[in-house]
Amino acid sequence: MADRILVIDDEDSLRVLYASELRREGYEVVVAADADQALALFSKGQFALAVVDIELPGMDGLELIGKLKRSRPATPLVINSAYGTYKADFKSWLADGYVIKSSDLEPLKAKIKELLTKSDKEE
Amino acid sequence: MYSALELQNPAYSEPLWSGLDAIGIGLFMLDSEGNLVRLNTTAAKIFGVDPNTDTGVKHISSIDAVMSLGLQEKLQSILGGTEKYCRHGISCTNTSGMYKELDICCAASEGFNGNAAVIGIVRDVKDAVPQPAVSANLFEELQILSTVAASLSSSWELEQILEVILTGATASQGLGFNRAFLFFYNPAENCLNGHLAVGPASAEEAGYIWQDLEAKNLSLDELLDIPKRDASIQSSSINSLIKGLSISLDGDSLISTACKRGVWINLETVEDIDSVTAALLDRLGVRKMALVPMISKGNLIGLLAADSKITGRPISNESVQLLQILANQAAVAMERARLYEEQISRASQLEEMNRLLGESQDHIIKIEKMSIIGELTAAIAHELRNPLAVIGGFANMMLKSQITDEQREYLNIISSETTRSESVLSQVLDFHEASKSDRRHLDFSELIVKNLQLVRGRLRPRDTHIGISLSPQTMKIYGNFDQLSHAFYQFFKLVVEDLIPPGSAEVRSEQRDDHAVMIIKIDATGQDRDRVVKAMQRIFSDNKASQRLTVLVAGETIRYHGGNFGIWCDENTMPSLFVELPLLKESQDG
Repeated sequence: MADRILVIDDEDSLRVLYASELRREGYEVVVAADADQALALFSKGQFALAVVDIELPGMDGLELIGKLKRSRPATPLVINSAYGTYKADFKSWLADGYVIKSSDLEPLKAKIKELLTKSDKEE
Repeated sequence: MYSALELQNPAYSEPLWSGLDAIGIGLFMLDSEGNLVRLNTTAAKIFGVDPNTDTGVKHISSIDAVMSLGLQEKLQSILGGTEKYCRHGISCTNTSGMYKELDICCAASEGFNGNAAVIGIVRDVKDAVPQPAVSANLFEELQILSTVAASLSSSWELEQILEVILTGATASQGLGFNRAFLFFYNPAENCLNGHLAVGPASAEEAGYIWQDLEAKNLSLDELLDIPKRDASIQSSSINSLIKGLSISLDGDSLISTACKRGVWINLETVEDIDSVTAALLDRLGVRKMALVPMISKGNLIGLLAADSKITGRPISNESVQLLQILANQAAVAMERARLYEEQISRASQLEEMNRLLGESQDHIIKIEKMSIIGELTAAIAHELRNPLAVIGGFANMMLKSQITDEQREYLNIISSETTRSESVLSQVLDFHEASKSDRRHLDFSELIVKNLQLVRGRLRPRDTHIGISLSPQTMKIYGNFDQLSHAFYQFFKLVVEDLIPPGSAEVRSEQRDDHAVMIIKIDATGQDRDRVVKAMQRIFSDNKASQRLTVLVAGETIRYHGGNFGIWCDENTMPSLFVELPLLKESQDG
């Protein structure tokens, strides 16, 4: 069964891009436009991994990561942000990976693959 | 109550004012407006005024109107030192209706609070105590003191003041000593050091100099006017007599006693001369001399010594007393010169501090502007990242699907251009991040070497070579290593990618004045020189609007650090790129 990934990003085009590319990679992708949607989806279903943007309307990505981790500590979380500066933010250390947004999606896909492989081994 | 100035200046000496009454000489002082600011009892009697009610109130014009002295008319020229006022046997009636027959003489002087003033002496020929010889001498001496005081009051330069003192002491129109020597007190070693001397070195020299001066018929005023005076009055050989001479004030020598007690000594009247004083006399080739301490505000400043070696004229106590008055004036003038120099020095320091403050303010404004621009640029860069990711991301995705060759070509273009744009954004954001870090001491050579290493990887496939020749001097600069590294890297990258392939370049560093300079000399063998020049001019154009973003950012970084960059080019050689940064200042040290 395909791993289920939750992608949270407020940009419509990016959600479409990530969903399309990750589906091509064989994942089942669910998208959310903000933190509230993400929390609702996260509470209802099982996800192998979540990709989280930081600059979100309302609750920001860093706060969302905290809530997701408290809810499902074992689920790997990847920060996918246009900003590199949040790496220095203590709250970002809760995430399992940090990728700078780029037109080249290879780094993001590689990080997802790496974390899911690691997660599989631990199970 | 008298101020220190009043007590030290003979013109304000109370005994002088009252003492002249005893011999029937009137003494008075006018301020620069012509107001009668002081007079002794004799002068009051001669003018027919009340010294208690008229002092400070009465104007000379009201006296002049009655007595026809012509003083009001001459006041400005006396003050300006352009005219002497001396009249004898004026028959007139004073303001109280009393008949007078007057001798009167006035000269410019320094008044209260250092203002210009006129000091005058007057006597009623009929009433004067019959002591013609004494009063004539006194009259002459007062004139000398007044002239020297006026000359000292117009001098602010210490050396000029010293020359006035020594000239006043030695001129025949002055005190008439032959030679005068000035010693400065050195408190650290408690000794006197020879400083300046005036007078002839020998009888022969005295002969022709004095003959010359006599022929010129100079007044004391003219003689004291240092810039206008003939340099022949000075003799460098007499200076060499005391230059380097040090006289210890330890012990009880006569010199030491004069300095410690602040009293003058006339060696003409002393029989038992100690070894220290004798050594000085031997050196100067005399047996008799006047020693006068120079004291200001209770502190010893130096010693004035004068002799009559050439004429052999005996030194009278009266002339030494007069020399002491001159020395007291000199001490005040020297103290004033010292304060003046201190003021000049402080003003200069203040000016320098103001300049530094101005520079700091400009720098702060620039930093603030840079900070705002940096924040704005970073925000724009972040905003652009998302659409670029979308555009490039979809292009990359479509490249993986079934597409025609033409579509593939176009999508490749979109993808590569997006990657290039993202790279520029990363550089901008890296610069913005680097700008947050602190400045520190940096080694200029280290900046060159580290960043040159980073671009060396780009050299091999391009058939290019970069040589390096660094200055052996350690050139320390002050700045942000990350920012400057970014700028240097960009300059090297431009040279490697755009300017020299195929060919070579030499990077060298050197110190020029207070700047560390890096020069990249292009040697694009086989290439058209004009092409390289045009390429450099295009890349490093002064027009910011046409500069590449990377050059713009790198250039701003260099300027932000107080440096500069540009092209050196002449008609025959290949052009060079230079980058210069200010060397570490002492104020940035530590």
